[in-house]
Amino acid sequence: MKSNGFINNLATKMDKDAGSRKTGLVVSLIASVILFILNLPFASWLVLADPQSMVNSQQLKDEVIATLHMHYSILNIMDFVQRSKIGIIGLFSACLFALCVAADIFFIISAVKIIRNRITDKGLLGLIGTAKVGFILELLLTIGTMILPVFAKHNVHYDLFRPGYAPVVAGIIAVITYFLLKVFEAKEREKYREHGILKEFKKNWVLFLMLVPAFVYLIINNYLPMVGVYFAFTNFNFRDGLYASPYVGFKNFEFFLKADLWHLTKNTLLYNIVFIGLGNILQIFFAILISQVTVKWFKKSSQTLMFMPYFVSYVILKVLVYNLFEYNSGLINGLLTGTGGGKIDFYNTPSYWPYIITFFYMWKGIGYGMVVYLATITGIDTELYEAAKVDGANVFQQIRYITLPHIKPTFIILLLYALGSIMKGQFELFYQMVGNNGVLFGVTDILDTYVYRITTTQPLSIGTGTAAGLYQSLFGLAIVVITNEVVKRKNPDFALF
Amino acid sequence: MKRKILSILLATCLTAGLVGCGGGNSVSVSVTEEVSASTETPASTEEAKELDLSERVDLVFYVMGEAPQDEELVEDEINKILLDKFNATVDMQFSTWTEFQQKYTQEITSQGADLIYIANWLSFGQLAQSGAFVALDDLLNTVGTEVRDLVGENALNMCSVNGSVYAVPNTWAEYTSNGIKYREDLRAKYDLPVPNSLENMEAYFDGIMANDPSQGILTVTTEESTGLQTAFDAAWVLNIKYPWVATNGLPYGLAANYDTPSDVYDYWFSDDFVEDMKMLKRWADKGYWSRSALSDTNKSDAYKTGLCVAEVAGQNPNKQITAIQELEEGGEGWESEYIAYGEVTKAIYPGHATQNGTAIVNGCKNPERAMLVLQAFLCDEELNHLISYGIKGTHYDVVDGIYENLSDTFPYEGFNTWNLRNGDTKLPQKTDVKLQEYFDKYDAIAKTTKFPNVNIYDGFAENYEDYTAERQAVSNVMRTYLAPLQAGLVDDVDAAVEEFRTKVKDAGLDTCREGFEKQWAAYCDAYGYK
Amino acid sequence: MDNTKKKVKIGAAGHAMNAIAFILLTLGSVICVLPFIIIVSGSFTDNTTILREGYSLLPRNITLSAYRTIFKAPQDIFQAYKMTFIYTILGTGIGLMVITMTSYVISRNEFKYRNQVSFLIYFTSIFGGGMLPWYLMYANVLGMKGKMFPIWFPALMSPFLVILMRTFIKGSVPDAITESAKIDGAGHVTIFSRIVLPVLGPGLATVGLFLALGYWNDWYRASMFSVNSKTWTLQFYLYDLLNASTAIKQMSQNSSISTKDLPTESVKMAMAVVATGPVLLFYPFVQKYFVSGITVGAVKG
Repeated sequence: MKSNGFINNLATKMDKDAGSRKTGLVVSLIASVILFILNLPFASWLVLADPQSMVNSQQLKDEVIATLHMHYSILNIMDFVQRSKIGIIGLFSACLFALCVAADIFFIISAVKIIRNRITDKGLLGLIGTAKVGFILELLLTIGTMILPVFAKHNVHYDLFRPGYAPVVAGIIAVITYFLLKVFEAKEREKYREHGILKEFKKNWVLFLMLVPAFVYLIINNYLPMVGVYFAFTNFNFRDGLYASPYVGFKNFEFFLKADLWHLTKNTLLYNIVFIGLGNILQIFFAILISQVTVKWFKKSSQTLMFMPYFVSYVILKVLVYNLFEYNSGLINGLLTGTGGGKIDFYNTPSYWPYIITFFYMWKGIGYGMVVYLATITGIDTELYEAAKVDGANVFQQIRYITLPHIKPTFIILLLYALGSIMKGQFELFYQMVGNNGVLFGVTDILDTYVYRITTTQPLSIGTGTAAGLYQSLFGLAIVVITNEVVKRKNPDFALF
Repeated sequence: MKRKILSILLATCLTAGLVGCGGGNSVSVSVTEEVSASTETPASTEEAKELDLSERVDLVFYVMGEAPQDEELVEDEINKILLDKFNATVDMQFSTWTEFQQKYTQEITSQGADLIYIANWLSFGQLAQSGAFVALDDLLNTVGTEVRDLVGENALNMCSVNGSVYAVPNTWAEYTSNGIKYREDLRAKYDLPVPNSLENMEAYFDGIMANDPSQGILTVTTEESTGLQTAFDAAWVLNIKYPWVATNGLPYGLAANYDTPSDVYDYWFSDDFVEDMKMLKRWADKGYWSRSALSDTNKSDAYKTGLCVAEVAGQNPNKQITAIQELEEGGEGWESEYIAYGEVTKAIYPGHATQNGTAIVNGCKNPERAMLVLQAFLCDEELNHLISYGIKGTHYDVVDGIYENLSDTFPYEGFNTWNLRNGDTKLPQKTDVKLQEYFDKYDAIAKTTKFPNVNIYDGFAENYEDYTAERQAVSNVMRTYLAPLQAGLVDDVDAAVEEFRTKVKDAGLDTCREGFEKQWAAYCDAYGYK
Repeated sequence: MDNTKKKVKIGAAGHAMNAIAFILLTLGSVICVLPFIIIVSGSFTDNTTILREGYSLLPRNITLSAYRTIFKAPQDIFQAYKMTFIYTILGTGIGLMVITMTSYVISRNEFKYRNQVSFLIYFTSIFGGGMLPWYLMYANVLGMKGKMFPIWFPALMSPFLVILMRTFIKGSVPDAITESAKIDGAGHVTIFSRIVLPVLGPGLATVGLFLALGYWNDWYRASMFSVNSKTWTLQFYLYDLLNASTAIKQMSQNSSISTKDLPTESVKMAMAVVATGPVLLFYPFVQKYFVSGITVGAVKG
């Protein structure tokens, strides 16, 4: 009943708007729905071509064979990979799976947008853009699905798959709708005087050119190696190598269940929040102090001196810290007994350590972090201060009304930036300060040290490490994306992206 | 009109879905029937190939540690010979000691090297099981017959995992049995007992403390090594009490005696364990080690500089020799003495064959040539001496059959090729004479054991794939609860033992034990260690 | 009358501020410099004394033996110095160029895809495939193991520095200026080189300093990609020295390996001094950009 009303509604809308843009939208909506349904795990995307050879070469057990199907869609292909233990197609299939999920997400978003009829100040351009991405992804998915059987045959030396009907149907629908949308988009663009990427490229080609070195770098150094995320889902062995080791699903994440994940997450988060917050405040505080000093030699030398801890490596710091806090001959206990006090057993008393660790982190980073704020303060127009002085503002007022507001954008950006790594700990700091002292783990254990500790006892732990990294990344990404959206609504200038 | 289009599209969509449904449901039952008719992969019948040396091969030989200064000079000299004989060259590459474990696995993963140093402390067993190395059986029977005969079937057998040989061991038998290294001069000075049992150790330590309260006794800290046997250095002294099959017993708190390896018993849940922990607590309370020992920075020269009077963990005859030299150089009249725990318990055995060996990395393009070169390094005296000691006359000389270093630029075994020690041609150092005395002493005892000269435990490679998560959790509990217990830092030993036992059970100890015991039993069975 | 009173008032607050700053900064400096003094004095102290009596502010039993040990084979250290300088200069120079250009583009409001590009850059700081694929990329795919390239290239830019630079550009070059330049017919190259770069002093100095420090302190890449000591950096030389003793001690439990002549405590300290000394000398030269202000007003007006 409800859907009926919705279709009526759509139809009347189309009737009202005589222009073809609404038709385009409806076609796009329908295509999205069809493709979404086609992507679901009952359509036949891949068909097992030669089950006999597969069973023989993989030496599968009967109970495993009983769970296999003849037809697979992309959404359940990973299940096949896991059960059949054909690791070599794992990475390829995982990429297709990711494409499929991404396409589905875009279909959902564009469908929701169309149904809610969201028209922004750029008309339907945003909407069409989203839909287009979905269809491109779907097209890539179908092409990939066509290639997979060839790839598999090349590697396992028999016909593993042949493509089902679904990729053909999906491919055709995606291409047709994409070009239809293209036509509508052109009209829409004309209307709002917007241009596409080609036009933008023609207009600002210098800017694009300036980005080339950075992108070459990012692709080599970051994007290509990202394939490694897949290792979080494999059980690595040397026989099959990195890319053909069996796919094991979420087995590598099991250690999270064994670990007190909540406790580790809490520790990591709390330390990082203190580090980021307190760190920035102290850095700003000292940067302002230095900027206020008028004696030049003092200004320079105090800045240099405060920078020095940065150069003390953690390995050396560990030696110094141990000498400071040791029970019998440590410096502090020496002072305490010298003044008639009792000794403090630092290394067996967890409650001291959050403070000790925080202190040394602040101590080591203050000079380094301060530079950014000093540079920002230096960049403030001196005329502003002159004018304030004339108006009778004292130093504190100048700081309050000129310096701090100018520091604000930098502060917010640095804060936002740091949020992304909120689950990543300062491994060196914790590891060198605490070492293997189990007594202190309750308050000093962060995710990184925990993962290090459990993986050093086994040589083939690529999976565990990557899984932990993935957790940290996803956590950080979620937090940053949300915060960034919030900041962007308030003031787009302060947003990271 | 438009409605029509819409309904047609929807209909198409529905049919597509239905068709899809039908397709997905057809499960491949037909497959099951034919499984039994499995086809054997054709057994690879290797024929002895005629070796083709016409193409030059450049090999990479990955070893541990730092390069000597004259690396290139010696390498050029080696390559002259290799080019002449096998039309091959070798490039030595060094791991350096920074992150060497990580770099070692990385080197194998990236297949950058052809020949590689292997050792049990570099997890040889696990790596071989996982297919990191080329199986050498065929190569040894075709191109490597000379080295096969040199090493002997017995040693090669020790280097085999799941029935295939994966490494060529060195042929110099050594004892790395653990023991206690202590200051003999202080013992004599205060007339204290020889620390050859736990009671005597305690008396020895007490005696020193009574005579010189400012003297430190032990510098012990948490366990860095990769095993799951113990968590704190001081607990190594327990080896003097139990004739265990391996140092510190078996993993997961299990233990078995050397004479009856297959008879595994529970140590952590025994009364012995509680008693031992109480003893360690007593030692800690007496102040044998610092209350901050868990985070100790592990001063490596503590013994040398007199900060401690004994070392109880990770000591072996070779370290004793080094200590003697160092104390002599110190010139204060200090003397060092050494007692291997195995001397007392009569469970002593030489190092396992996988302690120092060479393997060919999986992915090596010319395994035959690599084997030829490896064989030459081990069997050809000229090459062996060149790669071990450098150029004669420039880097070393032989005086009365004893090696003498001439230049710092290439020290003894400058390429760290401990894996290429050939027992027959090895040039002894001055210190080797004393070392040999220790070895002879242990050899005599070892001969009387039930399994003469067999290192049972080190030949075993555990496969913990099925219980990785549990194993990780157990190792974490050991660091968190066992280490303070063994360091005597708990107030109430009984309560702490109880807590440790509960925690380690929760972590999945039973799963680990079950998996381990099954494999261990199979191993003992296969090699006849009853 | 009124005027003078005001001046006195400003002066009082200023003096108070100066006094607070003076006291707190002195305190901060002392805390920060103490460990460094301990390290330096440790490097001059006899090793046995350090082990027996711990570290102290003033050297006791002064000896140069630690430095003598280090400089016994000076060619290795000098080579490491040379390489560190090469990496630092090469990396900082190229890196600064790449970063500035990229940040300029994503700071332009007229650039339609600035947010997408920013995201693509920032994303790399959160998401990574781990160490191994990264290593394989350089060692196997590019075949660069043992060369200089993988040691300096990976640190060429970081998302952090790009975003920092973007903030500096946004802060010191308001859109109005570039807009008016554009109307005058200036292209992107002109705007970038004539208007943006000249006022970017503090920004360039900061990012350049961070880049240079990153290069100076690197030991990890040198450790991963070197096949011999020719490509080592100074920090790696130091690090390796520190690690060797732990590692050898650990593995010599299982094998007859000599543990003689491992670096002593005082050698470690001396190595730390040798490795950081030059940077401290170099720092004051960069410092002037953070201490004396640059008048941006000239451009703005």
